[in-house]
Amino acid sequence: MLLVIVKKELKRVFTDKRLVFSSFVLPALSIFLLYSLMGNMIGNMSNEIDEHIALVTIVNSPESFKDYIELYIDQIDRLKKEQGADFNDFQLEARYIDMTENEITNIKNSETGDLVKLGKTDVVIIFDQSFDKSVEGYETIQHPNVNTFYNPGEEYSSSAISRIEYQLLTGYQNFLLEKRFDGLSTLSAFTVNIENQNNIIAKEGQAAGLGMSFMMPMLLNIMLFAGAMGIGIDVIAGEKERGTMATLLLTPVDRKTIAFGKVLSLGIVAVISATCTFGAIIASLPNASEMLAGGTEVSIDSFGFAIGDYLMLLTVIIMQVGIFVGLICLISVIAKSVKEAGTYISPIYMVVMISAFGTIFTTQDVQMYKFMIPIMGNVFAIKEILTFDLSLVEFGVTVGMSAVIIGVLLKLITMAFNNERTMFNT
Amino acid sequence: MIKVSNFTKVYKLSKKQMTEQKVTSKIKKAADKVSFNAKEGEIFGLLGPNGAGKTTILRSIATLLKPTEGTIEVMGHDVVKEPKEVRRRIGFLTNEIKLDKHFTPKYTFKFFGKLYGVSDKIIDERREKLFNYFDIKSFEDKKISELSTGMTQKLAIAVSLVHDPEIIIFDEPTNGLDIITARAVTNYLEELKSQGKLIIVSTHIMTVAEKLCDSVAIIIDGKKVAEGTISEIINEYKGKDLEHAFFNIYEKHVKEV
Repeated sequence: MLLVIVKKELKRVFTDKRLVFSSFVLPALSIFLLYSLMGNMIGNMSNEIDEHIALVTIVNSPESFKDYIELYIDQIDRLKKEQGADFNDFQLEARYIDMTENEITNIKNSETGDLVKLGKTDVVIIFDQSFDKSVEGYETIQHPNVNTFYNPGEEYSSSAISRIEYQLLTGYQNFLLEKRFDGLSTLSAFTVNIENQNNIIAKEGQAAGLGMSFMMPMLLNIMLFAGAMGIGIDVIAGEKERGTMATLLLTPVDRKTIAFGKVLSLGIVAVISATCTFGAIIASLPNASEMLAGGTEVSIDSFGFAIGDYLMLLTVIIMQVGIFVGLICLISVIAKSVKEAGTYISPIYMVVMISAFGTIFTTQDVQMYKFMIPIMGNVFAIKEILTFDLSLVEFGVTVGMSAVIIGVLLKLITMAFNNERTMFNT
Repeated sequence: MIKVSNFTKVYKLSKKQMTEQKVTSKIKKAADKVSFNAKEGEIFGLLGPNGAGKTTILRSIATLLKPTEGTIEVMGHDVVKEPKEVRRRIGFLTNEIKLDKHFTPKYTFKFFGKLYGVSDKIIDERREKLFNYFDIKSFEDKKISELSTGMTQKLAIAVSLVHDPEIIIFDEPTNGLDIITARAVTNYLEELKSQGKLIIVSTHIMTVAEKLCDSVAIIIDGKKVAEGTISEIINEYKGKDLEHAFFNIYEKHVKEV
């Protein structure tokens, strides 16, 4: 009997073009398009910044700096040829101008707008006059100063300033010190990571997993709930409203069987809907890795999951689906109409969203009690599975707790099915 | 076959229902100590104005509602204690009970057949017979949403008979049907009667009752105020016909209250 009901429910959903489109095709398609588009745009933006040749205006440049810049540009050109597409070092185009002390004071005291008068430029570097002399006379004269100006509202400008301060000016300083002390070895006591290019310690896949674990549990939960919500309301509240539920209740089939059949078929629908959306995310990964994992190359292989991990993930997801579907069914049974069910379900959707978002920003170890929180516990568990941190005990606690909740929900749904007041709005 | 004893049904009203029905009491007695017997091979009519409690009684016989007090037995099975046994034996039809418009008549018939535990072979045989009788055959593969009201109604009747029930309960059988379909339905009820089945119908149209029913119970304000064969009722309440007799009963009852 259960099978007859499940088959009918699935037939109802999968032969309805409108439902198929709104529950499976549309969410998957929109996720794919959205992620691909956003991922591409974010990727393009950071590529563009990397490729951008910064326009740097250098005021009163000392000869030594001009020499250094010349050397730097030569070196960059050489690297560019060697590295080809992998090249992402800082490139600049220098423009030299001279100013009097007064002009410089004016600029220092002025709003940024006046800097623009210098012409189109990303960064302005102003050297103290007689910079070279002061550097040479370091034993008796105070250290000279370099002022830099940039616009934090401009991506190109703010990206260029950090490269200039940490790369270019530091390099220039070393260049000067090298001249002064005839080599730098006497000035450094140690180096950091000079031969250790691969300084990342992680289990295989963990780095990619961490990136994905930020977004994935949240997305997955929202997708699972959203997938079940529309159809769930239709399957029960819609049937009540259309009067087709009563026909079902007139048959000698156990109310429990009818209730369970509805829950089960809705669960299947939710999983299929989530799989479609999940598939869309995987398909958009090549484009969206910049957004989802901060530039780490992500593909399904990069997780390095073992069968055990997949089984755990699957079990937790099924448990979560069970809770979602149970909640949706219960509300749909109690509600008098589809509209009413929609109203009741919104706060629950909010709870699901908050639970899902709440887990994104937790970085410390998840305490045991958190796995017992309904809905949220499962999100934590999914997150921990993705970073290979979920222990068997934690897994057991999560699944056990979910099983209890599902049991209670099923009991409540059956009670509601047996209640003439909820079933016939008497 | 059906024995209703002291059946009472009390609804608790919500505040919204109280305002809708313009009452101040929180409870509503839809049926008040109703008792009657209906035997096999007859068409039994529950007559009364709208809101008298006919539908409540029929729904309780069909196990959709539980009696607040009193008992209902269907072929020896109590509706509360053995609801599944009761449901197996009755076919219940009302306008409020509908079929999913997304499916075809053929699929719907088979689906309900299976839920009643009928074998595929017998489902096919009954479908042939019933679909032919009600002229459903030609549109059995169309979606129900594409069918006219009359066609849908005929299909609903066919589906309610898929398990060949001993008892057929029919709430307002000819309501909303065109004259030809209504005739087909009443003819079929006669045929079922001749097969020894019990048919219970409810109606507020006395001409329908007079033509169709062997015996009737008249329900007014949740109470049974008269019971007997059509001729017994007409004689007892001195009517020219059933409708006349009904108004005599109604007036008498309203005066008493």
